[in-house]
Amino acid sequence: MATTRTREPAEGTSRARFPDDELKRILYLLKLCRYFDERIEALYRQGRLPGAIYSGRGQEGTHVGVVLPLRPDDSLFPTHRDLSAQITKGLDLKRVMAQFWGRIDGYTRGRDGNSHIGDWSGNRTWTVMSHLPIAYPVALGAAQAYRMRGDDKVAMAICGDGATSNGRWHEALNWSAIAKLPVVWVVNNNRYAYSTPNELEFPVPTIAERAAAYAMPGVRVDGSDVLEVEAAAREAVERARSGGGPSLIESVSLRWRGHAGHDPAKYVPKELLDDHMGQKDPVKNFEQRLLGEGVVDEDEVKEIQGRIEREFEEGYEYALASPFPEPADHAKGLWVEDGYWTSEPGRNGPTEYS
Amino acid sequence: MSQRVEAGAAGHGAEPRGKRTEDGQATYLIAIAEGLWEEMERDERVFMLGEDIGVYGGAFKVTEGFLDRFGSQRVIDTPIAEESIVGMAIGSAMEGFRPIAEFQYADFMTSGFDEISTALARVHYRSGVPLPVVLRGPSGGMVRASSFHSINPEPWFSYAGGIKVICPAFPSDAKGLIKSAIRDDNPCMFLEHKWIYRRIREQVPEEPDFLVPISSAAVKREGDDVSIVTYGAMVHRALEAADALAKEDVSAEVVDLRTVYPFDEETVLGSIQKTSRALVLSESYRFVGIGAEVASTIAEKAFEHLDAPVVRLSPPNVPVPFSPTLEDAFLPSVDDIVGEVQKLSAW
Repeated sequence: MATTRTREPAEGTSRARFPDDELKRILYLLKLCRYFDERIEALYRQGRLPGAIYSGRGQEGTHVGVVLPLRPDDSLFPTHRDLSAQITKGLDLKRVMAQFWGRIDGYTRGRDGNSHIGDWSGNRTWTVMSHLPIAYPVALGAAQAYRMRGDDKVAMAICGDGATSNGRWHEALNWSAIAKLPVVWVVNNNRYAYSTPNELEFPVPTIAERAAAYAMPGVRVDGSDVLEVEAAAREAVERARSGGGPSLIESVSLRWRGHAGHDPAKYVPKELLDDHMGQKDPVKNFEQRLLGEGVVDEDEVKEIQGRIEREFEEGYEYALASPFPEPADHAKGLWVEDGYWTSEPGRNGPTEYS
Repeated sequence: MSQRVEAGAAGHGAEPRGKRTEDGQATYLIAIAEGLWEEMERDERVFMLGEDIGVYGGAFKVTEGFLDRFGSQRVIDTPIAEESIVGMAIGSAMEGFRPIAEFQYADFMTSGFDEISTALARVHYRSGVPLPVVLRGPSGGMVRASSFHSINPEPWFSYAGGIKVICPAFPSDAKGLIKSAIRDDNPCMFLEHKWIYRRIREQVPEEPDFLVPISSAAVKREGDDVSIVTYGAMVHRALEAADALAKEDVSAEVVDLRTVYPFDEETVLGSIQKTSRALVLSESYRFVGIGAEVASTIAEKAFEHLDAPVVRLSPPNVPVPFSPTLEDAFLPSVDDIVGEVQKLSAW
C-alpha cells in the first residue's frame, strides 16, 4: 500500500550506519562536490570558463545521498544541476573538467559542455539534456529493459521541483506504477524553478504526497542530512530491486546560487538563504558530526581537503592540456555507421582557442 | 443518388488484416506486418510498444496476432503517453533492446515531439550511444480523415537530424525497408501511408533476408522528357499521371525517394541528367516541405543539366481539410501533375 510520510531523523551515531572508511568517503565526496562547485564558479566569474554553470551548492546531501545505495550497474538519469550525483556515481574528475572546457577528452568530446555530461558505457549515467524532465521517460525504458531481461538492476532519475509541473513527470510516475517497474524517482526540491517558488509550482503542500495518486510510496526527507537521504534512497532502491516497484523521494534543500551562473537570485529571501547556509549546510553539518563522533579529527579533515584541492588542480591542468576537437569533425558522429564514436578522435585541434 | 463511401473514414476499422493471395500478392499492410513478424522472430531484442497494439491488434490491424505469438513482454499495450512511449524506447535501446514504437496515427508523434526531436535525435551525436529505435505510424491524407489524422510529419523529423525518415509507397519496399529500419543501429521513423495500406497489392518477396536499403531511391517508371521526383502515396498519383501523359507522347520518369532523409541524391540527379526537367511532387507542405529540399538540391547540383525551372507541386501550408471538395483541392491531383508536366515539357 502506498504511503506518504516525512522521514524522521534516525537515532544513533553515524557509525551505527556505516564503517569509518565509508563515512570518510562520504565526507570526501561532499567536500569534493562543494569545492568543485565553488572553484568552477570562481573560474567562470574570472572569465576563464566558456559556456554556462549550474550550481548544485547546498544540495550535496541530496546528490551524494541518493546515489550511495546504487550499484555500478544501476543507471542514473540526472539533470544539469546534479553533477555531484554523477561524480558520486563515478565520473572521472579530469574528464569532467575537460568537458567543462570543451576539450576532446571530455565525456562528450566537446559536443556538449558543463554538466550536460554523462558516461553511459562506464558509469551508467545519462548524458544530461536541458528539457526537464526529459530523462524521466527514458529511465522508464531502462527499467523496462531490466524487467524484460530479468536483471535485478534499478534505474534512478533525478529532477528538480520545477520539472514536476511538466506532463512527462506525471506520465512516467503513472506508467512506472502501472507496470511496477524497478525505478526510483528523486525530486531535488531546492524550492525554486529558476525564479519561481514552490507555491507557484504545485498546489499541494509537498511533492512527496503526489506519490499517493500513483499508488507508490512517497517520502519527504531533509536534504541537508546525507545519511537520512541515503536511508530513504536505500529503502527505495531495495524495494525496486526486489520487485516492489517504484518509489518517490522528495529531498528538500535550497538552491544557494542562481539558476545558472548569470543569475544573482535576488528573488530568494535573504533570511531563508541565511538559515540554510547557516543551519542546513549538508557538507559542514556532516563534517561537524563526524568530528563530534570522533570518526575524523581536524588533521584528517585537512588531509581530505588537501587531496581534493590537488585533484582539482590536476583536473584543471589535464583539461587545459587536452586539445579542442578538430573543427572538421563537427558533423561527424550523427550516424553510427560513420564510425566517429567507435574510433579514437583526432587530437590535432588547438589547445588555445577563443 | 448517394455514392458509396468507404467504411471507417480514416481508413481503419475492425476488419482483419487479411492474408496474401494464393499467388503470393500482399497488400502494403500485410507486407509491413510480415516484415515486423520476421524481425521479431529473428531477433529476441526486438519488441514493440504502442497504444492498442496488443489485444486489439492496432488501429489499422498491423499488429493483429502479434500478442498471441510473442506475448505481453514483447508486445506492450501502453497508456496514452506519447512522450513516455518514446522515452521508453530510448531507455530500453540504451540497455540493448531494439524497440519498435507504434503511433496510432503519425499525427500523434507531435505529442512525443520533445522526446523525439531533443532526446532520440541527439543522444548519439553527443554521447556515442547507439539508439536502434523504430518509430512507426500511419501518415498522410486522401482518406477524408481531416486535420488530426492526415498529417505528413516527415519534414519536422527530418529537420531534427539524427533520425532516418522512411516513406515507402509499395508493399515490397515497405517490407524490405521496415526490416532494414529494425536492423539499423540509428533511430528510424517509418511512415506508412494509410491510403496505401489496403489499396496497393503486389508480389512481395518471402525470403527472410529480403531487405531494401535505407536512403536508396528507385526509378518506378522510366521516361525521357520530365522527371517526377516524389514519395509515398503521391508515387501512385505520379504513375497514373505518367500513364495519361504517355497517351499524349510525353514520357515521364517517376523517381520514388522511398527514404526522404537522408535522401538518395545520386538517383535523383541521375534522372535529372537524363530528362533535364524536374517536377518535385510531395504530399508534405510546400513551404519547408520535403519537396523544397529536393528541389534546391536539384537546382544546386544539376543546374547545368536543366532546361527548365525546377517546379514544386505540394499542398499549401494549411491544416488538411475534411470536406471532400476541400481535401481534393488541397492535395495534388493527377490532373495537377499532368498539367505541370505538360508545362515543363513545353520548355
